[in-house]
Amino acid sequence: ATALSSLRSWDEARDLWQHADEATREFTAGLCEQLRLILEPTVATKLRGDYKTGKRLNMKKIIPYIASQFRKDKIWMRRTKPNKRQYQIMISVDDSKSMAESKAVEIAFQSIALVSKALTQLESGQLSVVKFGETTNVVHPFESQFSAEAGAKVFRNFTFEQTRTDVRKLVETSLDLFAATKPASENLWQLEIVLSDGVCEDHDTIRRLVRRARENHIMLVFVVIDGIANTESILQMSQAKYVPDASGELKLQVDKYLDTFPFEYYVVVSEIEELPEMLASILRQFFAETGDR
Amino acid sequence: MASQVKVRFFTRDEDRELHCPGNPVFVPVSLKRYGLSEIVNHLVGLEKPVPFDFLIDGTLLKGSVEEYLVANGLSSEHSLDIEYTRAVLPPQFLASF
Ligand SMILES: [Mg+2]
Repeated sequence: ATALSSLRSWDEARDLWQHADEATREFTAGLCEQLRLILEPTVATKLRGDYKTGKRLNMKKIIPYIASQFRKDKIWMRRTKPNKRQYQIMISVDDSKSMAESKAVEIAFQSIALVSKALTQLESGQLSVVKFGETTNVVHPFESQFSAEAGAKVFRNFTFEQTRTDVRKLVETSLDLFAATKPASENLWQLEIVLSDGVCEDHDTIRRLVRRARENHIMLVFVVIDGIANTESILQMSQAKYVPDASGELKLQVDKYLDTFPFEYYVVVSEIEELPEMLASILRQFFAETGDR
Repeated sequence: MASQVKVRFFTRDEDRELHCPGNPVFVPVSLKRYGLSEIVNHLVGLEKPVPFDFLIDGTLLKGSVEEYLVANGLSSEHSLDIEYTRAVLPPQFLASF
């Protein structure tokens, strides 16, 4: 069956955007600042070059300088400014029905608004929004400028009625989208932030794709929206599987659901207030462990 | 249809020993009574396995969980509350008495 998803009306979408915008206003500047610290290179490059003026003398040049009767006077080094990194950032949001069931819809809308506003303020590159469920669709392309109207247009597309959650297809499609848009620049970084209730299957296949994303230098982080607290939390959820034993006989195995979660870099967020710090921490961890590239 | 669905098992049995923790479990939709029984026994942690019957919305589950979902126009995006009760003794067991 194909997912014929209807659109929300413009009025409803604008209303939803306005609410999400207001609910996240107080966190936007903070998240923007945190992201600036993480995403922009802070380490100044080494002193280098042969200049007539500069910050520090190049001692190796002093003797030739004197020997040349002070003609070879490019004896200074300067600190060159690090190149500003350019980013392509994709926000991928779960549009499946389970999002509505697990009360993750409101926080999903707020998260889209918060992250897109912070990134727009940061002016660090291009932003796109993708929705996924049974199918994966771009609802805001990298080429378009993000704005409140663009936000409302994005919200029109989310109805949370898709009857499957195909995360494997999402990761495959994202890899293709990133590959198709990547201009030849060493200074372009690609980041994907997935927002979902985290319920998906086929963990082993997804894990392989996540590894491929990493090989392609795509930074992939997963924000699990945990809409229902306490015993309903994904942290408490388990998974029953039948796994063949040594003799090939299927044996029941019950694990904690998150123990086999295929995304290495994930955080669990149950309130929008937690998102800025959680997102910053997972990105910091990513940069620390992958050593930039 | 995905191969798994989120389920919350509960029982109205007065015997506290038969109660399992209330947190959800992701289970294969292909399971029928026997498989579900095995899972609940695992969750309850009984020393001696007890056979269970299963009810969804008050209706006895006859086939697989998937059959139930399809028959009721539900997808695997729904979570199910499944009640378990001690199984009524099978006829061949009664006959042996
Ligand atoms: Mg889902």
